[in-house]
This record gives sequence, C-alpha cells and structure tokens, in this order.
Amino acid sequence: MKGYRRMAGLGLLLVLALAIGIGVYRGKRHRESRTLDIILIQKAIDETNDFWSSIHEGAKMAAREYGVNLTVWGPGSEREVEEAHALIEEAIAQKPDAIALAPISYEETLAYARRIEEAGIPLIVVDSVMAEPVGRCVVATDNVEGGYKMGTYMRQFVDENTVIGIVGHVQGSSTAREREQGFRQGLGEDQEKIVDVVFCESSFALAREVTRKMLEEHPEINMIAGLNEYSSVGAAEAVRDLGLEDRIHMVGFDSSKQEIQLLEAGIFDAIVIQRAFNMGYLSIEKAVWAARGEELPEYEDAGTVLITKENIYTEENQKLLFPF
Amino acid sequence: MERGKSRGRLFGGFRSVRSSMICSFAGLIMFALLIFLVVSLNYTQDTVLDNSVDYTSQLIGQVNEDIDSYISYMENISMIVSINSDVNNFLFAEDAPEGAGEEGLRLPSGSGSVDDVGRQRLAEQVAVMFRTLMDTRQDITNIGIFLGNERYVLNRGWERVNPYVDVTQLSWYQEALQAEGGAVISTSHVQNVVYDSYDWVVTLSRRIRGLDKSDPDSVFFVDLNYNSINSLCEKLHLGDKGYVFILDKQGGLIYHPRQQLLYSGLKTERISEVMACREESFLTEDQYLYTISRSDYTGWTVVGVAYVPELLEHADEAKNIYVLMAGILLLVALFLAAILSDQITRPIKTLEGSMKEVERGDFAHAIIRETQDNEIGRLSGSFNRMTEQIQNLMEETRKVQQAKRESELKVLQSQINPHFLYNTLDSIIWMAEWGKNKEVVVMTSSLAKLLRQSISNDQELVQISQEVAYTESYLTIQKMRYRDKLEYEILVKKEIRELAVIKLILQPLVENAIYHGIKYKKGKGLIRILGYREAGCIYLKVQDDGVGMDAETMSHIYEKHVQDTRSNGVGLRNVQERIALYYGPEYGLSYESVPGVGTTATIRLPDRGEEQRNI
Repeated sequence: MKGYRRMAGLGLLLVLALAIGIGVYRGKRHRESRTLDIILIQKAIDETNDFWSSIHEGAKMAAREYGVNLTVWGPGSEREVEEAHALIEEAIAQKPDAIALAPISYEETLAYARRIEEAGIPLIVVDSVMAEPVGRCVVATDNVEGGYKMGTYMRQFVDENTVIGIVGHVQGSSTAREREQGFRQGLGEDQEKIVDVVFCESSFALAREVTRKMLEEHPEINMIAGLNEYSSVGAAEAVRDLGLEDRIHMVGFDSSKQEIQLLEAGIFDAIVIQRAFNMGYLSIEKAVWAARGEELPEYEDAGTVLITKENIYTEENQKLLFPF
Repeated sequence: MERGKSRGRLFGGFRSVRSSMICSFAGLIMFALLIFLVVSLNYTQDTVLDNSVDYTSQLIGQVNEDIDSYISYMENISMIVSINSDVNNFLFAEDAPEGAGEEGLRLPSGSGSVDDVGRQRLAEQVAVMFRTLMDTRQDITNIGIFLGNERYVLNRGWERVNPYVDVTQLSWYQEALQAEGGAVISTSHVQNVVYDSYDWVVTLSRRIRGLDKSDPDSVFFVDLNYNSINSLCEKLHLGDKGYVFILDKQGGLIYHPRQQLLYSGLKTERISEVMACREESFLTEDQYLYTISRSDYTGWTVVGVAYVPELLEHADEAKNIYVLMAGILLLVALFLAAILSDQITRPIKTLEGSMKEVERGDFAHAIIRETQDNEIGRLSGSFNRMTEQIQNLMEETRKVQQAKRESELKVLQSQINPHFLYNTLDSIIWMAEWGKNKEVVVMTSSLAKLLRQSISNDQELVQISQEVAYTESYLTIQKMRYRDKLEYEILVKKEIRELAVIKLILQPLVENAIYHGIKYKKGKGLIRILGYREAGCIYLKVQDDGVGMDAETMSHIYEKHVQDTRSNGVGLRNVQERIALYYGPEYGLSYESVPGVGTTATIRLPDRGEEQRNI
C-alpha cells in the first residue's frame, strides 16, 4: 500500500510539474504578446488635411509594425482648443501605455501635458513644442532646418534689387518663429532685404488680404516666403490675382494640392515640405520605446524636403506629395 | 563492502527491486518520449515552413495573375483603340480645306480629310467609347489619346489637360514612342496629365500608327487605378508582421506598404536580394521568409514576406498538443509500469516475507504457494523444499538432543554418590561397634529406602509424598551423621501430597542447604521443607537458617557441585533444567538469601489439579 501511495505522489508531482511548466510557458508568451495601448492626439483629424492624414497613416504603419493597439483622437480643426484638452483628459482616464500628443496650444496645453506625466503615462510630444520642455521625447520637424532650406534656395534669385516679404501664420508660434529664423539664416547677409513680416492667423482669406496689403505698402517687394500651407497658398493666390507672378519669386512651406498646382504653374519656385508620414511613424515608434522603458533621444527630427517643379514626380517625392 | 559496491550501480540507491524497476521503466519511457517529441516538433516546424511557402506562393501567384489580367485587359483596350477608325481619323485625317461640305466625315479610305466640325464629332465619338470603357471598369482611372500637344481626347471628353504639362515630355509618352507599337507598362506613379487630378496609377501606353507610315507621333494611354493593386496586396494577410510588395522589371518599387519609410531611409528592403534570387523563397537571418513570384507577362515581381515566429504560432498549438500527449502517455506508462513491476515483484516480496519467518524460526507459516511457472515460481518451490528439509533436520536434532539429555539425566538420577554411600556405611559400622543397634536399624533402613527409590527409576514422575519421603530418608541419615548440628521440619500440605512431580528435585536442594548453609554454621541448624499451592502454582520450599549467601555466590549457584564428591550427584543445574524441560521455561528454581540469616530455595511448579494426580 505504501508503494502505491508513493507512486501516486510521484504521479501527482509529475502532473504538477507539467502544469507549472505549461503555465509558465503560457505566462511568458502572454507577457511577450501583451499589446501596448497607445493614444495619439493630433491637433486635428481632418480628411482634407494632407499633413494630419499623413501623420495618421504613418502612425498606423508603426502601430502595425510594432503590434500595438493605436487609438487616434483629435478635434475637427486646429482651432478647437477646448475639445483637444478634453480629449487629453479622456486619454489619461483610459490609462494607456503611452500618449503621443501634438499640443494644440503653446501655452495652454502645457498644464494638460503635465497631467499626463503626473499620471505616470509616458508622453511623446509630436509636431510642436510647448512653452516649457515636457515629455520623454519630441518628434517634430526641424523648422529652422526647413526655413534654412527655403533661404539657401531662394538666395540664387537675390540681386541688388531684391526686396523680400514674409507671410507667417501665427505670430509668436514656435513654428513661425523657427521657420523665419531658418529662412533668415539661409539668406545669410541678404536677410537685410527683408522689409516686412505679416501674419495670417492660419487662414487662406486673411493670407490673401495681408499679402495684398503688404504689396500695397511695399510695391517693390519681388520675393515672398510663406511659412505654412495657409500663408503660402494665400500669398501665392494674391500674387496670381494681382498678375505679379512673373515679377515675384515665391517659396512656400508645407504641401497641398493647391500648392503643387501653384508650383507646377511656376508661381512658387520651390516649396519645403515636412515628412508627415515619418513624423507619425516616429512618434508611435518612440511611444512604444517609452512604454517599454527603453532609452529615448530627447529630440527626433522627422525631416524636410525641398521640392521644385523639376523634382515633383521623382519616385521618392511623389510619395511624399501625394499620399494616397 | 558489498553494500558500498551496489550503491554505485545504476538505481542501486533504491531499497526495493520494484522502485528500481519503476524508475528504469520511467527512464526508458521518458527517453523514448523525448526523442519522439524532438523529432515530431522539428518535423512540424519544417512542415509549417514548407506549407507557408506553398501557401504564400499561391497567394502572391494569385496577385500576379490578377495583375496580369488587369494589364492584359488594358492591353486589349489599347489594341481595340489603336485600330479604331474613329480614333485614327481623329488623329491622322488631314485638315479639310474650309467649306469641304458636310460630307467631310465620310472618308473614301483610311486617310482623308476632315474639317473642324467633323473632327469635333470624331472626338465626341471617341469620348463616348472611352466613357463606356470607364463606366464598365471602375479600375480605369484615365484613358486618352494624344497627338503630341496638338490634339487629344481625354477620359469622358470633358476633362482638360494640365496646362502646365508638356505631354511629349512625360515618360510614358516617350517610352511608348520608343517601343515602336508595343505596349509599355509604367511603374506606379502620380498621373499629372489631367488638370486638377493627381491620381496614383499604373500607366499602359502604346504608340498609334496610322495607315500611312509618315503619320506623326501619337500615343494612347490607359491608367490602372493604383488602388486596385494596393487593395490586392493589402487584402493578403500574411500575419501581423507580414506584407506584400511588388517590384518592376528594374527592381523599382511599384508597391510597398512602407514606401515612405524606405525612401526616407528609416527602413530598408532586400530588393537586390530579391532581384538576385532565383529560388522560390529565401529565409533571412532575422527570421523573415521571402516568397517570390515573377510574372513573365509584366516582368513584375510580387514578393510575400512572412515573419517566421508568427507562422510557427500555429505550430506552437501542435507543439502544445504533442507535449500534453507526451505528458499523458508518460503518466499512463508510469501507472502501468507500477502495476507491472508490482506483479513481477510480488512473488519476490512474498518470498522475502517468508524468509523472514524462517529467520525468526517460524516454519509453520513459511511455506508459500507456487503461483507462477517461471524462475520466481521455481525459486519459491526450491525455497519450500529447503524450508521443509531444514525443518525436518531441526526436528531431528531437537529429538536427538532431548533423548541425549534424558538419558544423561537418567544416568545421573540412578547414581547414588559412592562417597555418600561410603560415609553412611562408615557411620553404620561405627554405630554397630558402639552397640547402638537402634540407630543402626534406623540408618540402614533409611539407606535402604534411598537405594530402593533410586533403583526404581523407570518412572519419571512420583507423588510429592514419595519425593518428600525420599528426602526425609536422606535427612534422617544426615541428621544421624551430624548429630548435634541438624534439625529438620517437614510442613507439606496434605492436599498436594498426592500430586505428581518429576522426581529427585527436592533432595538436591536439601543437600545444598546442608553443605552450604548448615555445615558452616556454629551451633544447630534447622532445615524446613514447605509445600503448598498458591495462585495456580505448587510451591516447594527448602529453608535453612545457615550462613546464607552473598550475591556473588548466588550467581554461581547452578554451576557448582555437579561433580561434587560429597553430593548425591544431582546438581541444582540439573534440577532446574529438568523442571524447565518438563514444565516449560516459566517454571523452575529460585533462591533468596540473606547472609547470616539463611537461604530459601523455591521450586515453582504448575498446578494442574486432578490431572496431575493420576500420573
């Protein structure tokens, strides 16, 4: 009898060992395959906006690649600040593994970004920075670099008669400041030829308006730089409407169908575009790294590309300009 | 030494054969199962890889076929369009002089002249044809014919050409001209020829030749919506990390889900490896399985990429089942091993138990049943025979020993010590010389009684009264010899007088009391003989008030006087042995003694009542 009991004990031990083995194996696999939850809050979710659509696409690609569960939120337009901040609070309540945030406001969003960090959720700042440094990593376009590309390209058209005007988007915004700074650096000493800087509050109509006013005040202007899509397109349309396209050299920033048509029409000499897809991809990649507790760079440049009429349809650029 | 050696052996550490057997079985079974597992797991892995190559090949082969059918359809359209007379007339008919009449459309042969209105009508008819084609096939994005920048029909007829584009500079236009009438398939690109539309397409273009060789350059093109290729590739599911991409003849990307990442250098793709690969598939060192399908028709390469660990996830399920099965098998096998080894070792265990019995000397339960006709069965048989033999031998030895002892005792009983006889006779002579006739008579009759009793030794048992009488005869003689030294009393209860006891047990005690107790005492000594029954036993006691014994003397009491010349020859040891032999070891002789006070010898015998009387 004693022997049987020992046998039963041995059998039980084996079963137990087997069960524990399988359990551990399963558990390990479970841990490995646990999908991270990441929330991306864009400044806007707008099907017609190529920039945010591309960021969305890039983010989705990264999510697929890293096998994370990605949720993308954003207000209908970049002007809905309250809505964007409500979304941040909702995101914190969901306790995701990381949040990638494109701050809608330089000043006001800072408090909400802080709240994300206070909740212990890794924060990746996307596209633009806030009044104070916050977050584990900033994934954005190097705007100074982009502006610099505009300046160095446009310098070839500069002669002693050149007079330059700048149409910015929002006065005091970091992107406008940095792009202008880069543009000036690219022009070098020719930046003295800049006579006026106006702002359009990211509105096409206002951009046309301020450009027209600027040209009335400084009719000698023969070179204009736009600092984002609204200011670039608005300025170019104003120039075209005034019939001055042959006299005025123009350079724009960001990409849209209108900008491409204006570039094809020769109104723009060049435009500088951001790699929005890369920005979306990189922000989710960095969010994954942050959630896994890996080392992160403080700053990640998504990159910019200068497009002229000649290189619109090269293999690389057409993918950037025409994300399907 | 033996033990130490055996411990070194495999499974020698176990204390039973059964455990060793079970462990050996378990070891063997585990070994076999392990080999089975390793082989089947590897086999599964290989099979899964092979299967996924086959599966992926089928899928991407299907993609290639679908693309081929798109392209061949477009090529068919291009053939139909290029020989269409309306198209030819629209493109190549010479301008009719003004006012050639309304019959300008009716042309005598392939080439003729047509006025503006006529050409407008032709354009309208071509547009109708295009419209029909575009309406029936959603995957056609654009379709059109161009004669340089001079005239064109585009899509449904109302789309305009992008005013900033020089059609003749477009690559699909130039390549079509170079191809001399063959169809040219572009890579994926943005079609910018239509005003205000920038669609991703794959363009098929073909030069249209009029009947006259001198006709100017003219090109037909049709755009395949890139989304139809896109969705072909996207709907293929090759796991979460798997994807499909397409390369053109030169290795340029037609479709890749990470095209943007590739261009910006964030990702790389093994394009040169794919282009160089002549096999159906290859496996990269980071566990990606590339499966390749080339189309002879388009020259495109469709590549399916799968992540091997994902493929093996299904294999993992099979693995789990294998491991589980192995576990269950192991348990069942162990259970069977336990039962089997139990059955095999049970006879051995029985044998072992029975051997222990024999070791203890119990032969009655030692015989075991011979259940099996095998080595162990035969061993049991031999054991049984051996046990029987030993039992017989032992029985025989015991009988011989007993017979020997008995005969010895008889010899001892029958003897009256010659010294005693001589001393007594000497005393008689002295008494006779002194004229003490009365004393001579008493002594002589007592000696005669002694002699008679020792001669009649055919009976082993005597009545207690006889034994007492015998002892009294002895005491009488001794009392007369040690005249002033010895007194005696006999106080034996009447109810036990007729009980039988083995003879010659009382006299040696009295002899002992005289020679060791009374003899060394100054003055007179008293010997008292008591007899009574108490608590189921008969007690016979010989008390003396002699010098007594110390513990040292007591411990040697049974060894002394066996050959004592003055004793009657029957030693105490003899008495003790005979009582034990006859009545059992729990009965016998015991001594109590206090030096200077006296000694009491007690014989303890069983009281069997009437039964004892009859013997």
